[in-house]
Amino acid sequence: MTQRFSCTTCQSADKPLERFVADLPLETSFHRVESQEVKCGFGLQGVCCRLCANGPCRITPDSPKGVCGASADTIVARNFLRAVAAGSGCYIHVVEGTARNLKKTAKSKGRLVGLKALDRLCAMLGIEGADAHEKAEKVADAVLTDIYKPLFEKMELTQKMAYQPRYKLWDKLGILPGGAKSEVFSGVVKSSTNLNSDPVDMLLHALRLGISTGLYGLTLTNLLNDVMLGEPEIRLAPVGLRVINPDYINIMVTGHQHSLIAGLQSRLTSESAIKMANDVGAKGFKIVGCTCVGQDLQVRGSLCTGFFDGHAGNNFTSEVILATGAIDAVLTEFNCTLPGIEPICDALLIKQICIDPVAKKANAQVMNIASPEDEDAILKEITAAYKARRGNVPLNLLPNHGNDNTLTGVSETSLKAFLGDTWQPLIELIASGQIKGLAAVVGCSNLMGAGHDVLSVELTKELIAKDILVLTAGCSSGGIENCGLMSPEAAELAGPKLKAVCEKLGIPPVLNFGPCLAIGRLEIVATEIAEALNIDIPQLPLVLSAPQWLEEQALADGAFGLALGLPLHLGLPPFVTGSPVAVQVLTSDMKSLTGGHVLINGDAAESATMLEEIILQKRKDLNLP
Amino acid sequence: MKRILIDAEKCMGCKNCSIACAHARRPSGSLYDIALSDPETESRNTILLDGKKQYKPLFCRHCARPSCANSCMSGAMVKDAKTGHVWYDRHKCAQCFMCVMNCPFGVLKPDRATGKYVVKCDFCKDRGSEPECVKNCPTKAIHVKEVD
Repeated sequence: MTQRFSCTTCQSADKPLERFVADLPLETSFHRVESQEVKCGFGLQGVCCRLCANGPCRITPDSPKGVCGASADTIVARNFLRAVAAGSGCYIHVVEGTARNLKKTAKSKGRLVGLKALDRLCAMLGIEGADAHEKAEKVADAVLTDIYKPLFEKMELTQKMAYQPRYKLWDKLGILPGGAKSEVFSGVVKSSTNLNSDPVDMLLHALRLGISTGLYGLTLTNLLNDVMLGEPEIRLAPVGLRVINPDYINIMVTGHQHSLIAGLQSRLTSESAIKMANDVGAKGFKIVGCTCVGQDLQVRGSLCTGFFDGHAGNNFTSEVILATGAIDAVLTEFNCTLPGIEPICDALLIKQICIDPVAKKANAQVMNIASPEDEDAILKEITAAYKARRGNVPLNLLPNHGNDNTLTGVSETSLKAFLGDTWQPLIELIASGQIKGLAAVVGCSNLMGAGHDVLSVELTKELIAKDILVLTAGCSSGGIENCGLMSPEAAELAGPKLKAVCEKLGIPPVLNFGPCLAIGRLEIVATEIAEALNIDIPQLPLVLSAPQWLEEQALADGAFGLALGLPLHLGLPPFVTGSPVAVQVLTSDMKSLTGGHVLINGDAAESATMLEEIILQKRKDLNLP
Repeated sequence: MKRILIDAEKCMGCKNCSIACAHARRPSGSLYDIALSDPETESRNTILLDGKKQYKPLFCRHCARPSCANSCMSGAMVKDAKTGHVWYDRHKCAQCFMCVMNCPFGVLKPDRATGKYVVKCDFCKDRGSEPECVKNCPTKAIHVKEVD
């Protein structure tokens, strides 16, 4: 069983994980990187067009235009807009499902855990109601009404949620979004065959998608979840493969729609469920955190005791978690659910259950999760899988992986409460230079460049060494936490000033806001600090980085960052470098539109220096030392 | 003698060999920033379609009896007796382009930007490794082999 599957596996910032993968008898994404090493240069530059039967057309000096006459600028902008529209569609699907769940819970007078969160949300959106259920239903309706609006009707909650200087600028630029779903629809239409050819118009459309993605897909999804599931509370918790306890029936979750499993998760600790598990020789049921839904469980972990022990790893750790043999079922509801898990599930007899068909895996059984009976049926399937596989499938655990004291539960509300219900202490630390600035290191993990999480982790180390406080959200968090940077002891790695702050407050130099959805929480933090200082968001000594962005959703998040006016660092270009116009707009001209711009660098030290220079300039502009 | 051998049936026409060849002559940068619209971006190889619409990757064969070298009057194009490769020195080139006209594979061409020298495969000899075209072929349609 210990025979290696292939000779060269992808490197990881997480060395114990890298060694574990190299010795696995199963193929994972880490094994496939080598055989996919040769990339098509036309694809990398975004100048391959497959929009019509005359294609694929590629741009070369001998063929500077497609058969239709499309230039590199047009081809790149169309491809980019399509990607951002698809990414936005993903997040809007998530907020739509979340709002529908809230509505259903409210209508059926179900349990709402976060009543304070509901009141804050109602105050923000100007919604009143006789009781919590009425308020919650009205909130859900307001969100759904907005995202279903046609393109030519602006969404109404945008103005209530956005920072006013930003809202006014977006209005002036003509990039206030119409109905979020219509914006996706329109982005797909205008980038279709022989329609829009104006690269600038398409890049501006990407900004509109960024705003609807950010405020609705990200920010509102968190706030709606807070009402249903309760709010994050700051605490220390275990992370890494150590959280897997083979004595239990283990369910690995993948996706972004935490509220879908709200009913199931509360059932896992019921007497009947525990009896069901005991009857087949297990102590009970546990959910093993993976991908962003795992991060969401982790940040709300104080409310998940009994069935959730911690977050095991990010998107590209999912195959490895399954390969331990201690997972009995995968419950998938969205991405990042890699196709690579399928042969592993087959080999290790792991039951695949899909509860939202958008993430249907080839061998998964699609099951409803709408009623207690549905939940029972799912638990029965999972229990049957446990019974069939345990004892027949070897365990290959890594019980020392990760750590036990990673800080989690950070949100815009819990962090502010930690600081004494005001941002003033943080503002003063920044103003005095104890904290040089803030860097949001967000987004995914990919296996390119130096490898899995390498740039995310190295960049984070470089930033904290420069006294820059790092805030994270997304799969980047998964790698950074497993490498120990979110433990209070990581203060040792920070620069002297940040280290002193961390030691005084007992916090790590990297604060984890959880899933990629929590980029929306970071936006609230930025907005509230800017508000307290009476300045606009681009003036803050705050930079944004998605060092290892992976997917279309990340591009929609990035468009939100640009709309907010933030400098956005990426480790790899987003398939646009074949277009001089796209490069010019994204890396330079954007500054005169929103204040934001894209900078691309794959080297951790160089990237950190670039980001530090931006922070220092912003400090100077604010007359800070 | 090392030669690039072609298995045309494996070719998918992605032109990675062409981009890699052009990129190999640049002092720095990556595939992300090579100027695909710049006439100075030159590849020493190309992919054509034959009469049956099958891909025909076209590479300098460094022929045993090279028509290019044999027709060169200035001594710019010479056959290396030791390696068997045909080397081109643009500083000796008289720009008569007899080599271009005599190449039986049609692989030689004047440079696009100035038309003053010949674009000719140098087997990436100064890079100290396999030719970049070979390294970047995702389907192994081209490979280097020691031949007699």
